[in-house]
Amino acid sequence: MDCTGKSQKYTYIAILTLFLSLLLIISSANAVNSEVLVEDTTSAFIPNAPTYVTATDYKYDRGESAIVKWQLSSDDNSTGKITGYEIFRSEADADNFVSIGVVLPGENSFRDKSTENGVSYIYGVVTLYNGRTSQMVLSEPITPGTEIVNWNLLNLFIIGLLIAGSVIFFITHAKRGKKLFIRKIAGLEAIDEAIGRATEMGRPILFIPGINDMDDVQTIAGITLLGRVAKVVADYDIKINMPVARSIVMTVGRETIKEAYVSAGRPDAYSDDMVHYITDEQFGYVAAVDGIMVREKPATCFYLGAFFAESLILAETGNSVGAIQIAGTAMPAQLPFFVAACDYTLIGEELFAASAYLSNEPKQLGSLKGQDVGKFMAMMAIALGVFGATIAEAWGGSFFIWLDEFMHRLFTITN
Amino acid sequence: MNKKELVAVIIIVALSLIFYFGIKQPIVFSSTVSYIITALIGLVLLYIFIRTVGGKIFGRRTVFLFVGIAVVLPFFMTIKQPIKSSPEVKSLYDAVLALKPDSKVLVSFDYDPPSAPELQPMAESFFMLCFERDLKLIIMGLWPQGPQQAEMALQRAFLEPDIAAKNLKYGVDYVNLGFQTGNEFVIQRMGSSFKSMFQTDYYGTPYDDIPLIRNVTNFSNIDFVFNLSAGYPGTVEWVQVAVDRYGVKLGAGNTAVQAPQMYPYLRAGQLVGLLGGLNGAAEFEKATNIIGKGTKFMVSQSFAHVIVIAFIIIGNAAYFLGEKRREENKPNQTGMNNQPGAN
Amino acid sequence: MEVFGLWLAAFFTLGIISFLYKDNPWYKFSEAVFIGISAGYWFVVSFWDNLYAKFYLGVTANDDYMLFVGAVLGAMMILRLAPNIGWISRWPLAFVVGAISGFYLMNYFSSNVMKQVQNSVIPLFSADYGQSMFTESFGTIAGKIVIAAGTFTGLIYFFFSKEHKGAFGGAAKVGIWVIMITFGASFGYTVMSRMSLLIGRMDFLFGQWLGMIK
Repeated sequence: MDCTGKSQKYTYIAILTLFLSLLLIISSANAVNSEVLVEDTTSAFIPNAPTYVTATDYKYDRGESAIVKWQLSSDDNSTGKITGYEIFRSEADADNFVSIGVVLPGENSFRDKSTENGVSYIYGVVTLYNGRTSQMVLSEPITPGTEIVNWNLLNLFIIGLLIAGSVIFFITHAKRGKKLFIRKIAGLEAIDEAIGRATEMGRPILFIPGINDMDDVQTIAGITLLGRVAKVVADYDIKINMPVARSIVMTVGRETIKEAYVSAGRPDAYSDDMVHYITDEQFGYVAAVDGIMVREKPATCFYLGAFFAESLILAETGNSVGAIQIAGTAMPAQLPFFVAACDYTLIGEELFAASAYLSNEPKQLGSLKGQDVGKFMAMMAIALGVFGATIAEAWGGSFFIWLDEFMHRLFTITN
Repeated sequence: MNKKELVAVIIIVALSLIFYFGIKQPIVFSSTVSYIITALIGLVLLYIFIRTVGGKIFGRRTVFLFVGIAVVLPFFMTIKQPIKSSPEVKSLYDAVLALKPDSKVLVSFDYDPPSAPELQPMAESFFMLCFERDLKLIIMGLWPQGPQQAEMALQRAFLEPDIAAKNLKYGVDYVNLGFQTGNEFVIQRMGSSFKSMFQTDYYGTPYDDIPLIRNVTNFSNIDFVFNLSAGYPGTVEWVQVAVDRYGVKLGAGNTAVQAPQMYPYLRAGQLVGLLGGLNGAAEFEKATNIIGKGTKFMVSQSFAHVIVIAFIIIGNAAYFLGEKRREENKPNQTGMNNQPGAN
Repeated sequence: MEVFGLWLAAFFTLGIISFLYKDNPWYKFSEAVFIGISAGYWFVVSFWDNLYAKFYLGVTANDDYMLFVGAVLGAMMILRLAPNIGWISRWPLAFVVGAISGFYLMNYFSSNVMKQVQNSVIPLFSADYGQSMFTESFGTIAGKIVIAAGTFTGLIYFFFSKEHKGAFGGAAKVGIWVIMITFGASFGYTVMSRMSLLIGRMDFLFGQWLGMIK
């Protein structure tokens, strides 16, 4: 028996087995190690913090906002290594940072809308990755405050000043006795004709000054025209009926008509019942006026002031009783009804122009002329702006591009 | 009141009692019957047109009757109207979809019951959409009955099973601050402090005791504002104060009377979206897939419009043909009346 | 009680609708009740929401003594009823008119003038800087021309410092045509609105009251 040979063989097998086992152990250990290495990489990965964190007061508010800005973390790239940024805030003299917001990767600013005026804050920004955060980078302390002047509205101020200045200039001009030209308003002849009709027929005039209060400029214009109507009514002894929806309008209406009767030398003919309050409620008022129209059958109905949904109801009822109807309002939604149902309509600003034209009062005339300056400015801006924008868009040209941008900037309001 | 009118009143009362006590189930016409009725109405209109051309003038009561029929009959019919969302409705819908869950939406109810047919469907579908998207609602009103309309819209929204299942809590998911007098000055003051205008909510709970709003100072804490408006104060004031001064994002639902005035604001970007009238309500229901009264009423609306157009044509025919007849019947220019026996 | 309320609402609805036939006692009664209740309602709302909620609670619960200024001005307004000292009411009226004018001045100017003029400055034909002349559809171009020209000529119509003669008068005529077409579109919208209100009432009568529809 060759024991030596067999032993050698077994020895070789043992060594080979040992070697292979060792290889297996080492390779699995490597695998484990490499897994561990990978795991170690993940748990060890802390994203890089953002840099240059700055906080500034948000301009033109009441100290309620601050803007926080930062430079993006170097890990903020297309590999998707980070999940966002979290913003913290603490009062400057306390170290109690609380989270106030989270933004997505790629964003480098945040507006804090919950600051208090006069309180100092410090902001901190961290980079986020899978629940882990970078080191917090702090800003310098800032104190949000109130700005007295909002310089973003400088263009609004200048244009407003120009228009207001024109109004004041023309009022002064008119007060000095200079004549201000206003073109003839066709509706005014219709008013005279309508009053004449009522005189001929011996039926009353119904005057509706709208359903808004004296704080509405349309009501004021309506009352001015009432003055003109009341003068003729007083001179010719026609009955006038003026139901109103506001108590102050009632008192002003009574004063206006009373003044007209006094000027005509017939104060005894005036009665407070000519102007009477119905109700503030819109449809309650119009139901009552409809009833008055159907029962009294006025010859002429004036609707001069601010109206809402009741406009067509009034105009239709007036039409059904055969009255001549003159309307005037600046409510765009109601104008179509008055135009369709009334004999004449003063559209929008024609109501105010008629009021100015009739009263010849310097303030009203001057205001109208000043507004015309504003309209002229708007017309020029639109004409030049459209011209410049069209040429700039189609053919370029630095002048036209400048003109387009200038016109846009001139009328842009930034808050 | 004469005998005829008295009989008419008695008939109306009798019919009302019969229908009230007699009808237990809603009446629904089949689609065949619906189309037959539609065709019949068309034929009657054609008859009226032919008679008008022939010289017979029908009074205004005929128009009233036809408008009444056009509005009422579709309630019983099974005709469906296809509805397509317009860009302004779609942009409002997209603006709401863009809001993240838990965003705070301020809804201002600036209308009263007379405008409810147009605006209430908008309110209901808006609430349902917001609750589905887990948005938080802060409700207020610049008109006295506005908050009550809001309560009715909330009750309607809570009838939806999906929304009922969410178990929404008052004060946490939604709150009704009630009515505040002051018109646009309320909006102005809200720009600095909500609490200064609403010390308590609709039910008298102090502002600071309501979890949803205790940290809401002003508009800068609100993510979106939706205004339902029937007049003054309304969308115009919200645009002028809230949007232009405080930079609020505003969507609006208006009555059809007001809607044309809002298009300049929509074009200028001051409104993110606009629902105009019953049509706007129906389009919004289509966009949100929440079918309600807006869609239901559109068939009546369309019928009524067709009737109005038909009578405009008939009226114009009567007017122009009448003028022509008057011209033809005028005596000739020589001034001689050629009838026998004249001097 | 609900059934009684339903019948009452139906009674008044039909009463007001009866006006379409002619003026009658049923309409007169419904109208009188409506006017009375609405006047009373507004009085109650003014008292509880203004006097009580704003003034009384504002002073007693929130120590906002500035509200006394408003209260005094309001009391001065009521002095109108006394003929000898009625002139005092002109002061709060002047305050109200002046304050509201000042408040509205910048609001309206910013929203209704500045922003609208800014959005009227539009390129008519193309949308690409320095590219080709017409890059938008015919419909879009036509729409832009209508917006720009319509706004311009509309402003001309309301310009009162020049007589509407010659080319200026022609432009004013175009302006009034544009305005009238706008009114027509607005009228159509309003017809829709009125129909919607009628639909709402009919839904109430046939749905809630008579139960004939779902």
